[in-house]
Parts: sequence; structure tokens; C-alpha cells
Amino acid sequence: MIFSTVLTSVPNLYLTRKPKNIHIQIRCLSSPSVSISSQSNLTQFDLKAYWATLYAEITQKLEEAIPVKYPDQIYEAMRYSVLAKGAKRAPPVMCVAAYEIFGDNRLAAFPTACALEMVHAASLIHDDLPCMDDALERRGQPSNHKVFGDDMAILAGDALFPLGFHHIVMHTPPELVPESRLLRVIAEIARTVGSSGMAAGQFLDLKGGNTVDFIQEKKYGAMGECSAVCGGLLAGAKDDEIERLRRYGRAVGVLYEVVNDVLLSKSTEKEGTEGQEKKGKGYVRLYGIEKSMEIMEELRSKAKNELDGFEKYGDCVAPLYSFIDYAINRGFNVSDLSQ
Amino acid sequence: MRYSLLAGGKRVRPILCIASCELVGGDESLAMPIACAIEMIRTASLIHDDLPCMDNDDLRRGKPTNHKVFGESTAVLAGDAFLSFAFEHIACNTNNVSPDRLVRIFAELSSAIGSTGLVAGQFVDIESEGKVVSLNELEYIHVHKTAKLLEACVVCGVIIGSGNDNDIEKVRIYARFIGLLFQVVDDILDVTKSSTELGKTAGKDLVSNKATYPKVMGIDEAKNFAYHLMNQAVQQLACFDTAKAAPLYHLAYYIANRQN
Repeated sequence: MIFSTVLTSVPNLYLTRKPKNIHIQIRCLSSPSVSISSQSNLTQFDLKAYWATLYAEITQKLEEAIPVKYPDQIYEAMRYSVLAKGAKRAPPVMCVAAYEIFGDNRLAAFPTACALEMVHAASLIHDDLPCMDDALERRGQPSNHKVFGDDMAILAGDALFPLGFHHIVMHTPPELVPESRLLRVIAEIARTVGSSGMAAGQFLDLKGGNTVDFIQEKKYGAMGECSAVCGGLLAGAKDDEIERLRRYGRAVGVLYEVVNDVLLSKSTEKEGTEGQEKKGKGYVRLYGIEKSMEIMEELRSKAKNELDGFEKYGDCVAPLYSFIDYAINRGFNVSDLSQ
Repeated sequence: MRYSLLAGGKRVRPILCIASCELVGGDESLAMPIACAIEMIRTASLIHDDLPCMDNDDLRRGKPTNHKVFGESTAVLAGDAFLSFAFEHIACNTNNVSPDRLVRIFAELSSAIGSTGLVAGQFVDIESEGKVVSLNELEYIHVHKTAKLLEACVVCGVIIGSGNDNDIEKVRIYARFIGLLFQVVDDILDVTKSSTELGKTAGKDLVSNKATYPKVMGIDEAKNFAYHLMNQAVQQLACFDTAKAAPLYHLAYYIANRQN
């Protein structure tokens, strides 16, 4: 789950061992040989290579951003989660990709991209706590609190939120991004993470109830939306373009989660296992497989339509189109990119 | 969120922020969003500090702690929401301030509350429980747990009031002394007062074996040290207009002499 703040603890089940029939079923939604973008002059975009390059650059910058110093353990706890090998770096990659539609120097976007990853990691650390989702594993390794203790996990999350903001203001070149735009970025991230965004989503998720659409948007859509919007803000995109990115990001974030849900429930069905409580929760549990797949198609269509509004930017939009493809087809395993 | 934010509290930090803004000729209204944001951040750190896995406190500001009323998960989320809402509040409500000043304010605030500030202090405080702690370590804890945020209060107030770099450094040093003073007096009160008078659980430090100034230097030395800190703080205000500096002077006096 790329944009989610909650990861079910079975990452290997469907990302590395995709049962063939499920793969084909999902791919029936779009012909595998045609890129989802409608313009015939857009070549097949190599998302894997794009992602791999960005992955390496962002990881390097995150390494530098969180050096170990006194008091060491706090930094080790922060690094443990932020630099986890299983991290996909979806928010930063989305941010840079959105930036590059309008901007021509990705150095402008890197500090914000890193901040998004820090803030994302912070919310995951807190989500995994025993009093929250009580998750044993995250990103293919034991959860932060399992290694460092509950108190350290709380503190590590508390440290990563402000570090993200600090990183943005201290490292974004002012000649590339005027301060007024930086302030909008900060406001956007703050809003996303806070009481009207992800925290709200997590709260509702914990309390239960049928407001699954609201939860999905708040938890999963929020990060996708925020990442895309921040990229646009940094590059000086116009207000209507920002709103288009916002709708796109939200749709892709939720789409990714719906597809995960469908894949997960299909695989548990196939393997005949009793699902954990969390398996197939959300869309599939509420709407069933058929309806969920309809929702997938709606989201895919919506995301694509938003991007069609960026036609004048030509090939620059290719990465964002390919995210939609990837959400559905999962043509490669993102965790392979860290090797 | 409202429960903890509106539970009382002396509002020392917001007042410091506003007083610093006025010290350099700025208006209260300019500093108000930042003052409120700082109080939100402070509240966030208290909510998290009180959690069972942290200081495990039942009382705060005279009332049951947040997690006692709303549960642990809500308390964690409320703190998280406050941390980010504080930044959002500043970004969206501060008017007529040049963006570069606001960016400086964010830099100042963010470095005061994370692993170079509040969090670092809280961590070392937890780690040093039950251990013999040197005066240096004690000072590290209090500088980071308390003084850094107070520094941010006054520095942000001066920045938003359009003060210069010299003004910033003077108030920063003032705040450093005030911050340490705050904690020394807190430690003294914990030994000498009851829960009702304090509004929070008293005698905790003794029970938990936490490092405190009275423990390390004795109660009388601790009181002398407090007065020394107060004098050092107010010396920084000498170069400012007396009338404009009066609130900060009297705040230092209040912090040194308060009874809760």
C-alpha cells in the first residue's frame, strides 16, 4: 500500500507472489499492451526505471537528513523507520513527478519530497502502536515500538513531524522556490496530517463504523493528494492546476488501496485461509468484489480525466499516468528497487 | 483537543511570545496566531508526556489527563493533530508579515520541538530515571524540555515584531535562563507542595527517582540557583525600553516566585 498509513502485516502475500489468475483478472480492466494514456504520441513510460532513480536519490537525502547524534537512540529510532528497506517512497516520488510537470529543477522538490516521507513514516509509527492498530510488522521489519519500546516510538514520531517542516525550510533553495510558495506547502502538509486529514481518518478507522469512503479518502487519498499538490505548489502551478492535481492524487491514493483490498480478498479466498480482521476490510467487505472493481474503474477513469487536463504539458505528465497503470497492474515490485 | 487546550494552564508561553513582540514595537495581534500555536504545541507535548508508556500521569492542570478521559489512541492522535495544526494555524492566520519572516519562524519552532528540542529533553529525562545524573545532564534535560520552547516563544515574537538580530539574541539568552529557572522552581515546588496546590500529581519526582535540582544540590542551593538565574535573565533586558520590557521583567519575577 503506497499511500496508506496502515499496512496489513502480510506484505509478501500479494506483492511478491501474485497468483496468475488474479493478475489477469485485474488486467482485464485495461489492455496490457496499451498505456492508459490516450495520447498516441506518449510512449510507454518506464515507471520502474524512473522510480528506481528517484528512490535512490531520495533515500540518499533522507540518510543525510537524519544523522545519528546525541541522544543517539532517538535518531536510530527515526532512521529505523524512515530508512526501512521495505519503504516504497511513493509520496516523495509522486511529489517530484508532479513538480516535473511544471518545473525544471528537481532540487526544488527534494526537500519537500523528503519531508513527506518523514511525515508519512511518523504517522505509520504512531498507527502501529499497541493502543492504535497494534501492528507487529511494518515495511517488512518489526514495528518501531517492537524494537525501541512504546515511549521511544511516540517520541520518534513526535520528532519526525517537525523535522519534516524544518527540512523544507532549511533546504529548499530560495532562488528556486519563493518563500510564499513554501508557506503554502507547509500549510498543505500540516492540513493533511492533522485533525482534518490523516489523524481524522485514523481516528474513525479505530472507532469502526461504515464511513469507509470517508476513511479511505482521509487516510489513503490524503497522502496521495498532498504529495501531488505539494509538487505543483513548489513549481508555481496555477490554482486550477493545483486543484486538478489534488483530485488526481486523491483518486490514485484511494485507487491503490481499493486494488490492494481486492487483491487481498482474492488471495485469501484462493488460499482458503480465515482472514484476519483487517483483511478485505473497507471496500470489499462493504461492497463486495464486483462493486469494488466498479469503483476501481471509476477511480481510474477519474484520475485519468484529471490528467487529461494537463495535455499541453505533453510527456511531462507520463509518470503520473503510469502511477494509475501501476496501481492496477503492479507491473513490478517496488521493494525490489531498493536493491 | 479542546479538552486539554482549554483545561486551564497559565499561558506563560503565549504571553512571552506576545510580550516579546511588543518589546520590539510590534502589535499583539501580529503575534497572536503564533502565541496560540505555541500553546497548542505545548499541549500536544503534555498529552503525549502523560501517556501510560511515558510519564504515566493521571492529573494535569487540575483535571484527569487526556488519555484517562478519551483513551490512549485518541490522546496520541490529539497530540499529533495539534503538532500539525499549530503549523497550519500560523501559516493560514498570520497576516501582513513577509513570507521570509514566517519561514524563519517555522525554522525556529520546528527545531525547538523535535529531536533538537522537546523530544530530546523528554528522551534523556526518561533514560536517566533511576540513574545518577550529573548537573550537566540535568541541565541538558531542562534546556531541551523547557528552555528551547521558551526560546522559540520569544524569538518568534521578536521576529514577527520586526526585531533585528541583536534583539533576537538578547531575548534568546533571556529565555534560556527563564527556561532553566522554570524547571528549577518546578522541582522545588514538587518537593514542597501538595497535589491540590500544584494542580498536578505532587511528589512524583521522589517516587519515580527522577533527577531534580533539589536532589542534586539540596533545596537551599536550588533556591539560590533559581534567584541567580532570574537575575541573569533580566540583565538581558537592560538594553530595551523599560516600559516595553516591563512584562518580560515581571514574568521572570513571577516564574521565580510562583507557588504552582
